[in-house]
Amino acid sequence: MTAAVAIDSLAKVFGGLRAVDGVSLEVAPGERRALIGPNGAGKTTLFHCITGTLPPSSGSVRLFGTDVTYLPEHQRTKLGMSRTFQITNVFTDLSLAENLALAIVGTDRRKWVWNRPLSAFPVVHEQALAGLEAVGLADRADDPVKLLSYGERRQLELALALNTHPKVLFLDEPCAGLSPSERQRIFKMIRALPREITLVIIEHDMDVALGLADRVTVMNRGRVMVEGTPDEVQSNHEVRDVYFGHV
Amino acid sequence: MNVRSYGVIMALIALASALAAPLVAGPFWMTLITQIYIYGLLALSVDLLLGHAGLYSLCQASFFAVAAYTTAILQVRYGYPTIVAAPAGLIAGTLLAVLYGSAVRTRGVYFILITIALGYIIWGAMYRWASFTGGDNGITNVPPPSVAGFSIASQTAYYYFVLAVVILCAFGYRILIRSPFGLSLRGIKGSESRMQSLGYRTTMHLYAAFVISGLIASLAGVLYVYYNRFINPVAASFQISVEVSLMAIVGGSGTIVGPFIGAGIFLGLRNWVSSFFELHTAVMGAVFIATVLWAPSGIVGLVERWRTHVGKPKDQQ
Repeated sequence: MTAAVAIDSLAKVFGGLRAVDGVSLEVAPGERRALIGPNGAGKTTLFHCITGTLPPSSGSVRLFGTDVTYLPEHQRTKLGMSRTFQITNVFTDLSLAENLALAIVGTDRRKWVWNRPLSAFPVVHEQALAGLEAVGLADRADDPVKLLSYGERRQLELALALNTHPKVLFLDEPCAGLSPSERQRIFKMIRALPREITLVIIEHDMDVALGLADRVTVMNRGRVMVEGTPDEVQSNHEVRDVYFGHV
Repeated sequence: MNVRSYGVIMALIALASALAAPLVAGPFWMTLITQIYIYGLLALSVDLLLGHAGLYSLCQASFFAVAAYTTAILQVRYGYPTIVAAPAGLIAGTLLAVLYGSAVRTRGVYFILITIALGYIIWGAMYRWASFTGGDNGITNVPPPSVAGFSIASQTAYYYFVLAVVILCAFGYRILIRSPFGLSLRGIKGSESRMQSLGYRTTMHLYAAFVISGLIASLAGVLYVYYNRFINPVAASFQISVEVSLMAIVGGSGTIVGPFIGAGIFLGLRNWVSSFFELHTAVMGAVFIATVLWAPSGIVGLVERWRTHVGKPKDQQ
């Protein structure tokens, strides 16, 4: 079967720094993959290269067999790639419903409609409400994002990524900076996602990463150190060294 | 009173005063108000980019002037009727926007600089290409517009014509900014990286906005040349581009009435202050600084703030 995401010896060099240094990995359709590693391991840079935010220095990225290495980001989104950002990236001047509407029409031709108001598309509004409902923000639909707490913005961040009809979802530390109870809430939302959506998640919290993932890839210094099931990774000595230091 | 009915009532009052203006105002005021409508329309074209898409274009005077010059040259030098000259002006200005739109490949300060440079090209051409544009003197003796033997010669008739065009534009603009496309522009202003990851080819959206903005500026240019009856290179100057941006900001960026209010304040002040104070541009500068300091969202923003904090009972805030 064709892998949902196949990365072949991907590298990203910033001057003298090899942030990502020849990473190869394959994620099967429907799989949930966690990407872990210490700070500076190259996880977010790898994400940027996969989703098209940054061009890779070398190597290739395939999405369901299609080479997308040099495809602009918006076209990857059309092919079913979607992502969240480590640093919350939502539209603070717009209402929540408008945020969702942008995500919903972003992958089809309705985004070009200029001669009819958005309110002429009740379907979009219904989808936006449903999308907000899914992350527990339905009652805030008409509020401007400015009024949301940080935790609620992380929920909205997730809702945006979920409403572009993704086949593969890349989550960059969805729980970053959240309180334990908020983390639990986001964690539950991610767990409840349909299994058809392939998931790649960067997460520092070992419990979250290991509780969600089918397989785990551990990165260190721009390379893949270990790949395996959560159990295998947890019992690996190298991983223990990297995370806890030499005993 | 809810927001919607408040808006409708304000719009009706504004419309009634605009319709009644020729009955009470003398020729001086009629000239000024017509000018305010035209510059307001030009400021509105700036604000589509500034207030919605987040782009600071400083070459809006180019589209305005190219449209005005095209109409004037066709009408005066080649004797074409208005029905040909006016649409040709619109098309010429818009085509320039199609060409200049490539500036949206840049962002931030680079976009500002490149639009300044593009603006100077047009100004320079009009100033130095004297054999075609009339140089410093420009094109004079533009006749009043006439369509099918029906001439809009009187000041009052032309006032109503401009008013009608401006109202139609405002309605069209309102639909545009409330459409999914209009929302996409505000999304790009908010976070371009997020828009790209949501599937938007952001540069194309900005390009389309730039061309639409050029079309509106061209319309203002055609209205201007028939109002002013002559055109010279000042219309294409950097100063005009800056002034209309300031009008949009002072009036209230991101709104429809804001640019018109800004045009009113700017042109009104200039006409009034310049009659007794030589350094009237200093007064404009002070007004702008005061706006940036105390009313960053312009006069409209100030009124909105007053309304939500003072005009409403507490439970409705």
